[in-house]
Amino acid sequence: MPDPPSIAAPLRVVIAEDHYLVREGTRRLLEDTGEAVVLAAVGTADELLDAVERFRPDVVVADIRMPPGHHTEGITAAHAIRAAHPGIGVVVLSQHANENYAFDLFRRGTDGLAYLLKERIGEVDELLRALHEVVAGRSVVDPRIVEVLMGSHARTADAPLSRLTRRELDVLRHMAEGKTNRAIAEALRLSESTIEKHVNSTFAKLGLAEIPQLHRRVSAVLAYLRHTPTGPG
Amino acid sequence: MRLVAVCGGVCMLWATLIGTTQLRNRYILPWILGSVLPCYFAGLFTWWHAPSSPVARRLLLTGTWLSIAVAVRHTSALMIRGWGWDLRVEVAGVPLALDFGLQILSRLCDLTVSILVVRLLALLPDGRYVFRHERLVLGALWGLVALPLLLPVAGMQMVTVNLVVFYYPEAWLPGLGAALLVLRCLRARSVGRPDIAALLPFASLAAAVLLARASSRLFRSWQGDDGILYFIGALLGALPYVSIAVTLVYAAFRHRLLGVDIELRRSAVYGSLWLIINSWYLGMALTLGLTAGLYLPVGLSLLIAVVATALFRPLRDRLNALVEQRVFGKRLSRFELLVQFGTTLEHAYDLDRLAPQLATALREGLRLSWVRVRLGGDGLPLYVAEAGEPPPGARPCEEFPLLYGQDALGLIEYGPKADGRRIEEDHDIGGTLARSAALAVHNVRLAAELSARVEEVQRQAAELTASRARIVHAQDTERRRIERRLHDGIQQELVALVAKLALARNRLNRGGDIDTALTDMQDDAYRVIDELRELAHGIHPPVLTDQGLVAAVTSCARRMPIPVTVQSQSSLSGVRFALDIEESAFYLVSEALTNVLKHADAKHVAVRITRDGGRLQVEVADDGVGFPTATTHGSGLTGMRDRTEAVGGELTITSRTGSDTGNGSGTGTVNGAGNGLRTTTGTVIRARLPEQVREESRA
Repeated sequence: MPDPPSIAAPLRVVIAEDHYLVREGTRRLLEDTGEAVVLAAVGTADELLDAVERFRPDVVVADIRMPPGHHTEGITAAHAIRAAHPGIGVVVLSQHANENYAFDLFRRGTDGLAYLLKERIGEVDELLRALHEVVAGRSVVDPRIVEVLMGSHARTADAPLSRLTRRELDVLRHMAEGKTNRAIAEALRLSESTIEKHVNSTFAKLGLAEIPQLHRRVSAVLAYLRHTPTGPG
Repeated sequence: MRLVAVCGGVCMLWATLIGTTQLRNRYILPWILGSVLPCYFAGLFTWWHAPSSPVARRLLLTGTWLSIAVAVRHTSALMIRGWGWDLRVEVAGVPLALDFGLQILSRLCDLTVSILVVRLLALLPDGRYVFRHERLVLGALWGLVALPLLLPVAGMQMVTVNLVVFYYPEAWLPGLGAALLVLRCLRARSVGRPDIAALLPFASLAAAVLLARASSRLFRSWQGDDGILYFIGALLGALPYVSIAVTLVYAAFRHRLLGVDIELRRSAVYGSLWLIINSWYLGMALTLGLTAGLYLPVGLSLLIAVVATALFRPLRDRLNALVEQRVFGKRLSRFELLVQFGTTLEHAYDLDRLAPQLATALREGLRLSWVRVRLGGDGLPLYVAEAGEPPPGARPCEEFPLLYGQDALGLIEYGPKADGRRIEEDHDIGGTLARSAALAVHNVRLAAELSARVEEVQRQAAELTASRARIVHAQDTERRRIERRLHDGIQQELVALVAKLALARNRLNRGGDIDTALTDMQDDAYRVIDELRELAHGIHPPVLTDQGLVAAVTSCARRMPIPVTVQSQSSLSGVRFALDIEESAFYLVSEALTNVLKHADAKHVAVRITRDGGRLQVEVADDGVGFPTATTHGSGLTGMRDRTEAVGGELTITSRTGSDTGNGSGTGTVNGAGNGLRTTTGTVIRARLPEQVREESRA
């Protein structure tokens, strides 16, 4: 298990992306920030697994779709990496603004995993934040996915989410984006204590009160994500 | 008359008895069988059925008198030769030549018979006098009877008397009768009796034969009883009795020439004619054989008898066939009937025509009173045809079910024959026709099935062509839409982005701040990416390929602006079907959801995906306003149907509008149980798809 990452030390990153320009662009963007060192940039899932074994990075940025099948090789690789090295966070970049891929990624647990749309590489701060979150063992879901789920009407009357107030749903949405209570308070222009109250009542309504603090937020998001009539369970 | 009849019968029996047991006369049995018996029975027969007819009476009288004559002759012969009685007894001193008397009596009987034959012949066909000369001549004939008594008195010798009174008249009398008949026929036309005139050929023939007989008979006087010419004469001697009897019986019933108006089964007529002809035949054959025995050794005479039997046989058969045909009319032989029906079958395309043809052919062929034919059944409409009128409540005499294997294809039933009895052959013909008809019906059934299949195939082919054209058209439309979106949307935005980049570069060169411009451009790029993603998703949703139908449908449902519930069997999660099936099912759901949004004004939609009996069932139900399914032919519905049928599935659309709550299109709640919708109106679109795509649609 590698050393716990520190803020000062740059993140050691391996990039897997089959498209050359995107791969190199991502590498330069990350390295330009000075907060990350790209140990390797590869084009396939197999090469990614090799690189992980060789370099033991802090975090992996993987395209969801890679040769040879061009399906969900990134997700498969993420599961493999998390299983072999629980300390390595994985950010999956996807061109699919489809929650089902996120469900697939979080199928075996949310820790250290992030599902981001690919265009987030244009907002390098967001990307870096997600890298830090997964390195810390937390998880991030792209706001677009959350948006879809929030706007969805596909729910039934007895769903747990129907018990949440509108304000609690807002808070939950921000939580799903990986924001801290303070960030949520700023976004909603509310006091941090109010947010904390909403968060706690949300946890209670979703039956998550007994779960340790760190994981509650992820679980809440997951509970939200997984709540659909036919959501994979 | 009854007395006469009984008397005749008794005499004949007596004559036969003594003739066969006591006397060694070879002529007796042939004579009785050949002339007496036919004549007597013919007379008995006609009289029995037409007691008032003078011809019938005369015929019976002739037959009886023949019997009496033969009985008297044989009795006397028996007494003199068999028992050796001396009949020249003297009673009270007066010598009485009883044998002579008996002989005279016998001769007189023969003479009377001849006279009766003349009267019978001359007055045909009705037995009534028409012309004056007939009454005169026939009346004068009786005078012959008196001659044997008068001539000896006049001093003529007995031998001469015999010749004059017995031999010559007896020989010539039938000829005289026939000649009178010829005369009668010749004169009949002038007095308006064409029925009599019609007998002229018969009369001429009879006259010729009988005159020939008379000529030969004359030789008897020279050659004696054993001469061959006498034998021929004797042979022909039976002719008048037989031919007249046959003619009369036939004429009585075939043409009613005798005025006999009776209902009689034709088989009875045929039977009596047959009896007469065969008696004559038997008599002739026996006569020949026995006569030959007089001159030749036994072996040879036996041979001659056999040859004679064989020679007369075709004659008899020909007569029989003639009579049969005359009495029963032309009857189709079994072969002819089958050939005729076979020809009919060639044109048997529809049972509607075949049934009456079969009934008519069978009725005419077998001469039945009625025939009923039922064709069809076992998937075919039933056709019933009748030939002849079955009496109400009549039960058929015979029934032939039309069977092909285990399939009952109809029934042939018929009543009794119009005349005569049914024979084994009739049964066989009925059975054969039934089998042929069963084959024919089976063929018609096959043809009907084939034609239905062909129609179905043609309909399917037409539908397939149309659906292909629609699919191609839909594809073209979709391609144009994508092309438009690429060119007018994404490409334009990218061009705009390039322009903005150029502007930013200019500003940068001038030392300006381009941070805002870059952010702006980034947002533009995000929009392009979004649009591209949407477009790609519209072309083919990647989640369908990557995660399957349920995930894709769920994802689609989440993006709907109204609540959409997706239900699927838990056994379905993770199950992948053939690519085309998944695509068709997904297309159906997304198209149905689009339709709901556009038209249904629904509050809620329920999508159900189930797997049942090897079929994948996809159902989209809404609680919207519904639409009349019979009159709605939107391209959306057609497209859904085409897509479903292209992969071998079937689509059903049920819809209830507010106005048709009473008719039978729905079952109370249109959306069926279990989809969570509580509504009285709305639409259910249900597709049942095979789990595996057919090979040809995969190509």
